[in-house]
Amino acid sequence: MDLSLTPEQEMLKTAVRRFVQQEYPKETLLQIASPTEPTPEGPWQQLTQTGWLGILIPTQYGGEGGSFTDAGVLFEELGRGPVPGPHISSAVLAALTILEGGTEDQKKEWLPRMATGEVRMVAAITEADHGWQEGDVRLTAKVNGDGFSLNGKKAYVYDGESATHLLCAARSEESNDVGLVIIPADSSGIGTRILPGFAWNLSEIAIENVSADSTQVLGGKFAGGWDALERAEAKTIPVLCAYQVGGSQAIYELSVDYSRTRHQFGTPIGRFQRVQDQVINLLNALDAARWTAYEALWKLDIGRDAADSVHLAKAVGSEGYYEACNYAHEVHAGVGSMTEYGLTLHTTASRTLYHYLGDPKFHRRRLADALGL
Amino acid sequence: MDFEPQYTPEQEEFRQEVKAWMKDNIPSGIVHPADPIDLTEEQYQKRREFGRRLGEKGWLWSTAETKYGGGGLDVDHAIVLEEEAESAGLTIPPFYDSGGRLGGASIVVWGTQEQKEYFLPPIFKGLVRTWQLLSEPEAGSDLANVKSTAVKDGDDYIINGQKVFVGSSLGCDYMWTLTVTDTEAKRHENLGWFMIPSDLPGITVQPMDLLISGGESGAGSGVKNTVFFDNVRVPSFNLIGGHNQGWKVATTHLELEHGTGGRISRNVVVDKLFEYCRENNRRDEPITKDPDAREKLVDVYIEQEIVRLLQLRNYWMRHSGVTTTYEGPQASYLRKTLGLKMSRHILDILGPAALTFDPELGASEGHMEAHSRAGIIAIHPGGTTDIQKVIMSRRIGIGRDVREKAGALA
Repeated sequence: MDLSLTPEQEMLKTAVRRFVQQEYPKETLLQIASPTEPTPEGPWQQLTQTGWLGILIPTQYGGEGGSFTDAGVLFEELGRGPVPGPHISSAVLAALTILEGGTEDQKKEWLPRMATGEVRMVAAITEADHGWQEGDVRLTAKVNGDGFSLNGKKAYVYDGESATHLLCAARSEESNDVGLVIIPADSSGIGTRILPGFAWNLSEIAIENVSADSTQVLGGKFAGGWDALERAEAKTIPVLCAYQVGGSQAIYELSVDYSRTRHQFGTPIGRFQRVQDQVINLLNALDAARWTAYEALWKLDIGRDAADSVHLAKAVGSEGYYEACNYAHEVHAGVGSMTEYGLTLHTTASRTLYHYLGDPKFHRRRLADALGL
Repeated sequence: MDFEPQYTPEQEEFRQEVKAWMKDNIPSGIVHPADPIDLTEEQYQKRREFGRRLGEKGWLWSTAETKYGGGGLDVDHAIVLEEEAESAGLTIPPFYDSGGRLGGASIVVWGTQEQKEYFLPPIFKGLVRTWQLLSEPEAGSDLANVKSTAVKDGDDYIINGQKVFVGSSLGCDYMWTLTVTDTEAKRHENLGWFMIPSDLPGITVQPMDLLISGGESGAGSGVKNTVFFDNVRVPSFNLIGGHNQGWKVATTHLELEHGTGGRISRNVVVDKLFEYCRENNRRDEPITKDPDAREKLVDVYIEQEIVRLLQLRNYWMRHSGVTTTYEGPQASYLRKTLGLKMSRHILDILGPAALTFDPELGASEGHMEAHSRAGIIAIHPGGTTDIQKVIMSRRIGIGRDVREKAGALA
């Protein structure tokens, strides 16, 4: 038993933390989040040059071939920003889906360019009823000449607006199988609209008569595509949980600092037990999320059946980040609501990630199945 | 990272040795009653006998030093022993004892060489059973406010006072306690920590009438007592840590009691609940197929997993020398609050069958009834949940620039 990080992982952690401080300071994150200001290109370019996007892509396809725990360490630090994507959506979820279900040609074609960030392929799965189950996919693929044409509408696509390519879940009219089709995001017939409001980088993507051929279908056929996606999701979820842990860790530190420096009634507010309760609840949510996430990552690394741990981690992790933000707001009161303070970056992220790859209720049901209840 | 012990061939060999030995040495008829209050004298004596046999092998307190009667084993071997005891349905020690884990651990840190040689071997060999005497009518959460006194008289101290929530049924051989040694001195600098033979004249033990005795699952003592000291004469040799140094000694066992030691074992109540729900029907289907019950069972599972992981973290930190701060009281806080939530879930899942140990209607041979009672009671022994949060706050440094340090452990 050893719950410490390896020296290499400690070095990675330090390097990523320094990178986030330098390239993604709060001002930059606020600028990226602003609907009116232009998004600076520099930080993303810097991120692609680190090679970190390829952390889970095998070396033979141009990646780093790291472990899941390595990826957890990396994304925990990115989550502290929170540094916006498309990284988990592309270099983890889409890349792992191609690894799980792609043909050798598809792996060679896409993975090296995903590792460098040149290709930002985003999985477009959910539709208007926002479900993550196979039965929820209605977008159709209809045979048309040598290929087929896609019709339907994807909704709540995380990182959809920054994608160069979509990995689009589609139902074959012929076989009724749900497969995944790789299409360039600028294909004619695709209309992407970022959703306004409290959503974090969620888009609606209308797909009208977009044609594709079988080389674009994951694995060359619709059958088996959805299963590959589910296997990839199970590996992506603990990494996403680590990202949420990083967010909770950052706002925990923010809250402890604030409890020391903010004075009311002539004393630091952290001397009041009501305020202490909020910080302690935050820390408890954070630690529960941390250890469920890292245990799931460890199980993936040693190749053990991780289904129970994955569903546990997502249920605990999504609720944890959501609740952690609420507790942090209780500590900060009005100051926390000011955009320039930075807490709301996390609050906003926590709400969207609560649902991304399945909400806690979905994963609780899956956990019951995994436990054989 | 590695979330489980990796067993070396040497450990596996040790496991075989332990298995074979346990098969030959566990007395027949050792069972865990749902409520430890039902432990009979005969069962208790069997457990003591088994404790002595473990002690002879150095397996009762396996990581304690051999020169003090321990096993001198490392944590890898201790894990194997704990696992094998657990698979036999037992804990080590196999009876309620505050000697090895808390009292002995404090003597290891604060006792003189002579005191260690005198007090520790009987504890670590299982020859004596020891109770802790901390709470008083006026000193619960505020333990440093104890009122019982130890007045120096020649080479002895004369102890007077009253302690509550003490021990178990069926007596003990030693008691350790905290009393005022200097009525003039400042708080925390006015106390003495004593290790006392329980048969000294002037000591009276009177059982308390409680809903349940609480305590950690599997280590519940069954009964708690009031203990009266009436001019009890105790030699100075029995004072550990020095005159007016008792609070310092207490920081060690308080730290351990607050959960810093960690655990690696499973929650037996949860296993029994799942087993019961799989094997028993409601409306012609296993309870596990009822949608409402499924939801609650998952809640229970998630809560126990969080506690298990944090206790595992603490276990690892303690045994690999990583400095702890808030982690002990955090695990204690969550174990207790989630245990209380769990008793609510059990009531939801099983209904009134969770409230009786009636042999026909009660669920799981009364284990669920005992947990239903324990849920609200077990959150207070060893520092209330509110006290755990106070300690966490100080250790984290909420509202403070200087963070409080954890108590000294060996």
